[in-house]
Amino acid sequence: MVGLSLGEKQFIHGGIAQDLRTDGRKRLHYRPISIETGVIPQANGSARVRLGATDVIVSIKAELGKPSSLQPDKGKVSIFVDCSPTAAPMFEGRGGEELSSELSVALQRCLLGGKSGAGAGIDPSSLVIVEGKVCWDLYIDGLVVSSDGNLLDALGAAIKVALSNTGIPKVTVILGPSPNDQPDVDLSDEEFLQFDTTGVPVIVTLTKVGRHYIADATLEEESQMSSAMSVSLNRHGHICGLTKRGAAGLDPSVVLDMISVAQHVGEQLMSMLDSEIAAAEAAATQEQ
Amino acid sequence: MISRLSSRRRLAEPAQPSLLLLPSDSTSPPDFLPCLAVLLPSLSISSVLPAPAQPFLLPSLSPSFLALSLRSSLLTAQPFLFLSLSPSAHSSRAPSYSRHSSQQLPYSVVAPHINKEAAMTTMLRELRLSLNQTQRVRLQSALQSLQEMSSLASTITVVADTIPVNHEDSILKGHGTSDLNGEVVATLCGVVERINKLVYVRAQRARYKPEVGDIIVGRVIEIAPKRWRLEINFSQDAVLMLSSMNLPDGIQRRRTAVDELNMRSIFEENDVICAEVRGFQHDGSLHLQARSQKYGKLERGMLLTVPAYLVKRRKQHLHHLQQYGIDLILGCNGFIWVGEHVNSHGENDSAANRENREDAVNKTGELQVIQEVQEPERTTPLEVRQHICRVANSVRLLSALGFNLTVEFIIDTVEASISSNTDIKDMLAAEFYVQTAEREVQRRVSLSRKH
Repeated sequence: MVGLSLGEKQFIHGGIAQDLRTDGRKRLHYRPISIETGVIPQANGSARVRLGATDVIVSIKAELGKPSSLQPDKGKVSIFVDCSPTAAPMFEGRGGEELSSELSVALQRCLLGGKSGAGAGIDPSSLVIVEGKVCWDLYIDGLVVSSDGNLLDALGAAIKVALSNTGIPKVTVILGPSPNDQPDVDLSDEEFLQFDTTGVPVIVTLTKVGRHYIADATLEEESQMSSAMSVSLNRHGHICGLTKRGAAGLDPSVVLDMISVAQHVGEQLMSMLDSEIAAAEAAATQEQ
Repeated sequence: MISRLSSRRRLAEPAQPSLLLLPSDSTSPPDFLPCLAVLLPSLSISSVLPAPAQPFLLPSLSPSFLALSLRSSLLTAQPFLFLSLSPSAHSSRAPSYSRHSSQQLPYSVVAPHINKEAAMTTMLRELRLSLNQTQRVRLQSALQSLQEMSSLASTITVVADTIPVNHEDSILKGHGTSDLNGEVVATLCGVVERINKLVYVRAQRARYKPEVGDIIVGRVIEIAPKRWRLEINFSQDAVLMLSSMNLPDGIQRRRTAVDELNMRSIFEENDVICAEVRGFQHDGSLHLQARSQKYGKLERGMLLTVPAYLVKRRKQHLHHLQQYGIDLILGCNGFIWVGEHVNSHGENDSAANRENREDAVNKTGELQVIQEVQEPERTTPLEVRQHICRVANSVRLLSALGFNLTVEFIIDTVEASISSNTDIKDMLAAEFYVQTAEREVQRRVSLSRKH
């Protein structure tokens, strides 16, 4: 990340204060989002989301596994993000680990809900095959190919799109003679189950620069932030997760204000993503 | 495979692949992520970048590579890994012919035949725009007519093309050529130039090639004894000596030790500076000078980076657009500065800036939290800011389209956006993009009709 001179920083601050950012956007306006699905054919589902110059790829793989003994009626979902060295030279080797773990934790908090599984965007009880014995393990892997700010929003959108593209093979279970035996499972190659992604939340990150909030900050604007808050909202406008980053403290009234602004922005983002997903699905079925 | 990246080396621009090299028994599959592309100037690893898939048509190659290429062309949405070699462009000024002629390439050379269709689809995929069907058709037709109109299409050579050479004459093989089985073969995609006995290939899209007298824009990255080091989108950092810079009090005198200690009051780290190339150092890095009033620190604006080959050398690089009240500096190295107009880099400005900086330091003590910085008395007025954003967006748009950046073109684009009532942020959207391409086609058609 290149540093900015004092004059450039003042220019950015002045622009945000006057509601005209460096690329002409208003404060709460997102960059054009472009979505591609099915970029990784070997995975069960995949998506590539481009938000300006930010480029992320998410792949979802489903494997058969055993449910945990504490929650025998639920499958397992794990989210992990990797920052590729192509995004920035400092991500080479272990340099990107801090950012990767921060993003992974934030995504887990936003999408997976609490320990009991309540409030999760992806319902883990839909992943169980035989209670206590066989379940689906969903591995969601994100890769940051190019970073120009606002990685969390891009990854959240990519996960939502990838889930819509995911096909879990249909399973026929052949129970063994005694109930303690491990049942045989037969994976069908033809039929697939799709996820319903209207319930999956989107993540809206609001970056506080000076006295104003901006949505979808570029890398330069993010370097000027005092604090940022990422709110994960579902279709009904409910908050599924909250993450605050940044060194500066926030007054509680400011936090509540940011949440309400995020709700307003999140509605538009959600509807735009839903329409893009529908368009991508239509294109995919047309090709078939 | 990839060694550590030195922090001083910049990420290379995604230049067109100049030569595709693979070890002759390579079986690495293309469908793993992350994929990396390595640019090797002078056979040394320097930088890393991704690249979109390029469906190549490969005439004759090793079977492993054929399989690789077929798979990559089928899985077109995947990022593709390729190794690209350009023995040239920015290494040394004086071409060393003997080095090239005796170079033994350790790997088998394969010849990608890049056809126009592939180049077009690659360009469309590189754009981060989602075009609907009509827009895509319009853009493709505009790009095709532009390609047909360009007169260089006939003289371009592609990698591994044989350069027609009279074997009886003694020919000096210059940059971008190589000796293969007695034939002179191009190793770059570009135009063949012949000067007396020298035959070389000049790449169309090369890194910045500095010349004495170029006006460039750079960013200070380090303050060294008696000099500043600037980053200028080149393979090496440029040096601006303290003696090549006017002192704040304007007096011409010998620089003392006190001056050396106060260098930071002139230029700090991360400052953006406009300067002129004075010459070259022995290791090839640049020597700059900023003695005139028109050079110096740039403030109240923004810096954009475009590929350096899009900025051609003209008579004037520092433009003052009076109708908008902004300064536009087209640095030859690809750094473009767009900012509010400053009357002169004289004493008044620098004194005010120093005051602001001192205020900032006094207010916040050690932790320089930028929010506490006192607002300068003169914030950029909204109208000027809108013009700055429009000019910046038109520069981004033209560089994405690959057009040469000239002031007239930039102003034309801004005027067109104002007259068509395009919102500033919509200038980077698909519709205005396609319109700009079409407008350029019409302009070139009308130009050719006049002649």
